[in-house]
Amino acid sequence: MFESLLNALPVALQFGSLISLFVGTLIGILIGALPGLNPVMAIALMLPLTYGFDPIIALGLVAGIYNGSMYGGAIPAILLNIPGTPAAIATTFDGYPMTRKGEGGLALKTACWSSAIGGIVSALALMTLAPMLAKVTLAFGPAEYFWVAVFGLVSIAVLVGKDVSKGMLSALLGVIIGLVGIDTISGEERFTFDSLYLSGGFELLIVLIGLYAVPPVLEMAEKRNESYFDSDSFRAKPSGGSLGLLRRHWRTWSRSSLIGVAVGILPGAGGNLAALLSYNEAKRKAPDPESFGSGNPVGVAAAESGNSADNAAAMIPSLTLGIPGNLVAALVLGALMIHGLQPGPQLFTRSPDVVFGFMWQMLLTAMLLLLLGGMVATRLFAQVLRMPSALLVPTTLVLMAVGVYTVNGNVTDLYVMLAFGLAGYLLNRLGFPLAPVVLGVLLGPMAEQNFRLTMLIAQNDWTVLFSRPISLGIIALLAVVLLSQLWKALRQRRQSQYQGS
Amino acid sequence: MKTTLLLTTATVSALAFTPAMAEYPERPIELIVPAPAGGGTDNVARMLNQYLEEELGQPVAVLNVAGGGGAIGVNQFSRARPDGYTLLSTWNSPITTVPHMQRVQYSYETLTPITSTSQSAYTLCVAPDFPAESGEEFLAELQANPGKYTYGNDGVGGTMRLAAERIFEAYDITARPIPFGGAGETLQNFLGGHVDIYGGSITPVLPYVEEGQAKCLLVTSADDNDALPQASGLAALGHPELETVLWRMMLGPEGMEEERAEAVADAVARAVEHPEFQEFLSAQGETLNLVRGEALRERLEQETQAIGETLENLGLKQQ
Repeated sequence: MFESLLNALPVALQFGSLISLFVGTLIGILIGALPGLNPVMAIALMLPLTYGFDPIIALGLVAGIYNGSMYGGAIPAILLNIPGTPAAIATTFDGYPMTRKGEGGLALKTACWSSAIGGIVSALALMTLAPMLAKVTLAFGPAEYFWVAVFGLVSIAVLVGKDVSKGMLSALLGVIIGLVGIDTISGEERFTFDSLYLSGGFELLIVLIGLYAVPPVLEMAEKRNESYFDSDSFRAKPSGGSLGLLRRHWRTWSRSSLIGVAVGILPGAGGNLAALLSYNEAKRKAPDPESFGSGNPVGVAAAESGNSADNAAAMIPSLTLGIPGNLVAALVLGALMIHGLQPGPQLFTRSPDVVFGFMWQMLLTAMLLLLLGGMVATRLFAQVLRMPSALLVPTTLVLMAVGVYTVNGNVTDLYVMLAFGLAGYLLNRLGFPLAPVVLGVLLGPMAEQNFRLTMLIAQNDWTVLFSRPISLGIIALLAVVLLSQLWKALRQRRQSQYQGS
Repeated sequence: MKTTLLLTTATVSALAFTPAMAEYPERPIELIVPAPAGGGTDNVARMLNQYLEEELGQPVAVLNVAGGGGAIGVNQFSRARPDGYTLLSTWNSPITTVPHMQRVQYSYETLTPITSTSQSAYTLCVAPDFPAESGEEFLAELQANPGKYTYGNDGVGGTMRLAAERIFEAYDITARPIPFGGAGETLQNFLGGHVDIYGGSITPVLPYVEEGQAKCLLVTSADDNDALPQASGLAALGHPELETVLWRMMLGPEGMEEERAEAVADAVARAVEHPEFQEFLSAQGETLNLVRGEALRERLEQETQAIGETLENLGLKQQ
């Protein structure tokens, strides 16, 4: 296998491949940076144009767009609180507060390095461990997916903020939003009020853009005469340069990259879950958890390395098993099939140059991010903040509207976005945290569906939830997280009592 | 100056009086695909579109209007002007299944049939140690053990599930459907041993048949499938009428002129002849299938009724 890997390196380093990687990464960053435009759409539009070329050129483009967009999504998340892609949601938590403090440059640089590191770790996992990790993928049935979702939901306890009851209500709101639509198990409609639109449920991207991106625009508009950003001190250079970043974040990067890879090999779980879990873990492990959410660069590092580490790992089940981990992976499978390459167990032996070449490309584009991301993002996009509010507010709104419209080509989506925007604004004003809402929307349906699938398969024998080794492992992890939180809370209470008396 | 004006007037009136048929299409066409960019339907539509543009001599812009199992896009399309400049490229479910389950503003009766393009069958596969070696034995084993086996499928109201239920109904079989998000998810759970039977499209499972990790015993088309020699088609079992497959078609809005529909159908017939398109189709596991005009409407009618009955038996039919 390592011989095939080495043999494929020259394939990935061909002139055509390098050009397509370069172009792809650049397009990816731009696509990711424009909210609503997503990598799936970009790849779907570009792929038909590459059918006449060597498959490695098409795959280079895909790899570039895929990795580039994962970083690109962080740019508006950091500068404007708008997640450019759903996976960038956790990046807003600390990235945007950093911008408001005048540290947007540092945040962008941290995001760029974190994305690159996550992408590199993920590509290395794909290159060396793919067949082994594919076995893990198959061991995950609905029962295991259920526990993964519960694990994510429990982590709300970490994200919940100071007011626990408000945090829990937010999470519940998220779960309810996730309930809307046709129930996938029974086919019953839930909360659809006879509307065809609602029967499809709410699109995650539209909910996210509404909740997260509209409120800051409204706030900007309110303060149109004051300077909204601390823009005179846009510090791009962190103290100590890139080496300083490395020293500061290597722990976070390694932890988040592992989480990203683990989530990546589970088809359907996705980069947003990877980023949220990484963020939670970073916050839990930090000596100063209360500084998260108010501009801690570690939060940005965790989120960005987590979601980028999901990328190449999500290709593992698609290349080795023929099971696409996400929509981009499905497009890659399509591209391979058009060139007569059948994904699945035989792919590695029948066309090693293409598969291993693609893996090298995933690695190369992660490295390219450092070059292109640094150049494009910090120099070009940071200028956005110099715009006066009177221009920035309408421009941002138009961008969001265009992005949301292109998802489905449906005008109703725009009104839904605005409705969620108003809801987000009110929730902000009333002190309800938004992060639990997102986790609720994302994980509520995942937990419910997989629980019911488990029950369907086991004919309502709930003991299967506790009888399989992987499930027990996740339950043990859950217990550790919960107990450590409890212990921390108890210790804090004792300390404050001691100080009080 | 005067001559130019005269000439211009002459040209304009000449244009206006020439029968529309000879001109069509004289400007770009919009093609609504009721599925998101990047899915199977979208891929096939875009690929065909490359050659269709050449044949029609006009650009064709793909507009993805996704949601509601395809119903939102078809609803929007059904309100378009029937001048032949807005066309629909869809798979069968939004036309023959979704109207039974949701309130929509169209039916197979109102839309103008142009031509079907391609189709692919679904297959039912089991693990190598399953006690059956042919389609007949497979159905007999299911019959003998009601409620014992689970089969993964593409969800409530999904075409694969309906295809299987139509067969099970005829053979008085009770198998337990486990609704997954699509063939990929079903394959994952089948290979992991979480469900007994794989139900889904043929292409994803093919490598596992070659490896001996899966045996496919049944296809949902009337004909047998060359890629799966062990699987029986429904005609071989004596039930060709139970065929339910995934197929794709182009439709026009209600009241579209027949000449224009014919012109599009002719262009499609020429476009599918391109060898690159045929290679693409076979890579997707699909075969060409051109049924036009009234014959297409009949096919839609038959399928709508058959699926309506199955849905009613499953208790999924609305109204």
